[in-house]
Amino acid sequence: MTSTGATETPPRSVNGRAKSRAFGGWREWRGWPDDLTRLWRRSLRFRIVLVTLGLTAAAVLVACVWMALVIQNDLFVSRKEQVLGDARRATSAAQETLDNAAVQTGDSVQLQTLMNSVLAILVQQSSTDMIAAARIDRTAPQAPQDFTIGGFDKALISDGMRVAVRSSAEPQWWQSVALPAEDGGTMPGILVGQQLVLPDVGAYELYFAYDLGSAAGTLGFIQFTLWVVGIGLVLLIGGIAWFVLRSVTTPISEAAQTSERLAAGQLTVRIPVRGEDELATLGRSFNAMADSIESQIKELAELSLVQQRFVSDVSHELRTPLTTIRLAADMINDQRDEFDPATARAAELLNAQVQRFETLLTDLLEISRYDAGSVQLELEPTSLAHLAEDVIASMHQLAEQHDTDVRLVAPGGYTPVDMDPRRIRRIVRNLLGNAIEHGERRPIVVTVDSNQQAVALGVRDFGLGMNAGDAEHVFDRFWRADPSRTRTIGGTGLGLSIALGDARLHGGELTVWSEPGHGSHFVLTLPRSGGRLTSPSPIRLEPVEEQSDEFTRTQPIEIRTDAATPRGAS
Amino acid sequence: MTSRILVVDDDTALAEMIGIVLRTEGFETAFCADGAKAVDAWRTERPDLVLLDLMLPGIDGIEVCTRIRQESGIPIIMLTARTDTADVVKGLESGADDYIVKPFNPKELVARIRTRLRPATQSASDSLRIGDLTVDVAAHEVRRGEDPIALTPLEFELLVALASKPQQVFSREMLLEQVWGYHYKADTRLVNVHVQRLRAKVELDPDNPKIVTTVRGVGYRAGAVV
Repeated sequence: MTSTGATETPPRSVNGRAKSRAFGGWREWRGWPDDLTRLWRRSLRFRIVLVTLGLTAAAVLVACVWMALVIQNDLFVSRKEQVLGDARRATSAAQETLDNAAVQTGDSVQLQTLMNSVLAILVQQSSTDMIAAARIDRTAPQAPQDFTIGGFDKALISDGMRVAVRSSAEPQWWQSVALPAEDGGTMPGILVGQQLVLPDVGAYELYFAYDLGSAAGTLGFIQFTLWVVGIGLVLLIGGIAWFVLRSVTTPISEAAQTSERLAAGQLTVRIPVRGEDELATLGRSFNAMADSIESQIKELAELSLVQQRFVSDVSHELRTPLTTIRLAADMINDQRDEFDPATARAAELLNAQVQRFETLLTDLLEISRYDAGSVQLELEPTSLAHLAEDVIASMHQLAEQHDTDVRLVAPGGYTPVDMDPRRIRRIVRNLLGNAIEHGERRPIVVTVDSNQQAVALGVRDFGLGMNAGDAEHVFDRFWRADPSRTRTIGGTGLGLSIALGDARLHGGELTVWSEPGHGSHFVLTLPRSGGRLTSPSPIRLEPVEEQSDEFTRTQPIEIRTDAATPRGAS
Repeated sequence: MTSRILVVDDDTALAEMIGIVLRTEGFETAFCADGAKAVDAWRTERPDLVLLDLMLPGIDGIEVCTRIRQESGIPIIMLTARTDTADVVKGLESGADDYIVKPFNPKELVARIRTRLRPATQSASDSLRIGDLTVDVAAHEVRRGEDPIALTPLEFELLVALASKPQQVFSREMLLEQVWGYHYKADTRLVNVHVQRLRAKVELDPDNPKIVTTVRGVGYRAGAVV
């Protein structure tokens, strides 16, 4: 049946439209299965419309088939009744004529004439022109010949039919047959048979063939209309589902977009609420949630602001008296020669500890600024290699005091990169200070190198080193590798925390490698374009094997001690 | 001749201590603890230099600085407890010549003050040309044609430093050493802000400087003589 194909068409055509709309371009047909799978997974509307279409198509298919069968049956039955009545009428008219005719017995000519007139009546009375008659009793010699008119083919009459007609005089018999059509094919028809009695001669089988062509045409038209209406209905329901769902999915995707924007930090966005239905409830509860989030974030922001202001106030309030103390301590310290030894020492201690207090305060404030997120970088194109050179030069004196040789190896990193030079200088000073302090008088190698994405600086000492557990905590606040070790360089225990904070502010990283007995290696890596670090650092954190070899090969580089000497253009 | 220094600070202990330090170094001192009275105090005391705390009751230090700057180019050194970038830059933009972050030591304070009070740089020639300007070093005067341009001593010194070596490109560090007297790495924003202030006064179009030109990545140099 063609109906199966017809009902499958609608979903297919809808798919096609969905595809071409969502993934414009027929050329990408290879991707359709994937696209469709994705659409099925992601689009609620697509999925529901597809399911609706499938179910509707099945229902419409069943309804259409049933209706077609019922109509077909009904049409046939009514046509059959009509045909039977028609045949009966014609036969009885013919029989009446035969019964009233006065024919002399044995006059074959008269009989033939009578037969011809009966034939004319039959043709006139019945609505078909395909009529056949055949003698049942062939013993009477004067009986008229069998006849067929209207191209009646006797082969149409089945044996069973003939037997049935011959068996009794009264009832009509019918049979469905395929009649030859004008175009050479066949068409459905009904064959009606009964007996006609010729006086004196005997009974004839009389057959009428009726074609059902017009009924078949009607049936075909009705079926065609049914299918068209069915397909139309399926499409219509699909369309309705699409539009109805839009009224549901649009607010949902609106809600999704709004929550995305909310998540992205636009705290003031809200969903427009219309009416009082479930979607409005969704919108209202979403808005309530957004209100709550907004107020909480505002509260936190205010808290943070309060903290920043507090830090700033503490800074001012502490620093002013500290300045007075500092000035006084310095003055007293300058005159300690005039005091007795104990007082002189006290003055010295006072001075030193005031300085330590000051450093600690500065570091603490710096840390609290990171915590408050109120640090702003002052970016300036700076050459990391030159910066390292400057820092090494400025720490020359300290290195000498510790009898330590500081070497700079800078294969790269000369091109200026945007960074906050004050902060980077502070990091390098801190790393170098630590290396000098823990370097056990062995040489310290400062490496500067770069690749396409990043510049990096490594500070390698060959001192005591730390075990892995200690190295993990090295950036923790107030953490000290060995509390018993005397500190010669006044540190606050915050230096590396601050250095790490500074590195991260630049989008960079500060990493450490350390091994007891082999020293430590700190590597600072900064991205070139102010973005995030994507590639590994240009400097290897772990030392290559035969490190000592490499370091003997390293040529000492002369460090200019005068930092203010203008450098040549690089 | 002893220089007279006005200390504007609301913390009396600190003001007194600064006074002790300065008098030990041979300066004369005057005090004012209220921002609102600071400008009047400056007018009556006629000091040679003002030490100005940034946070003051009444009117804050930045406002005081701006008001004094409207009337005079007197050296102003800000005392600030805040190292926050914005505050320092705001202070410098309002016209302060230099700043010292609390807590400071007495030597640092005295060094900063002496640098600002030292006699103007002696140049080889009395008159210098820079761009379309004439700089009369002896008379401390800058003219465009016949019109004099009023500069603070610091701005004048900055201009003279550049004009006296027209071929030289000055890095910010060199200028910090020569004009501000810093012998170590200091805040290069000092230079940036004061170059901006100087340009605003001497350039015809500060967005397209012809007198003090920027050498990208290095520093500044004097514009070609016209």
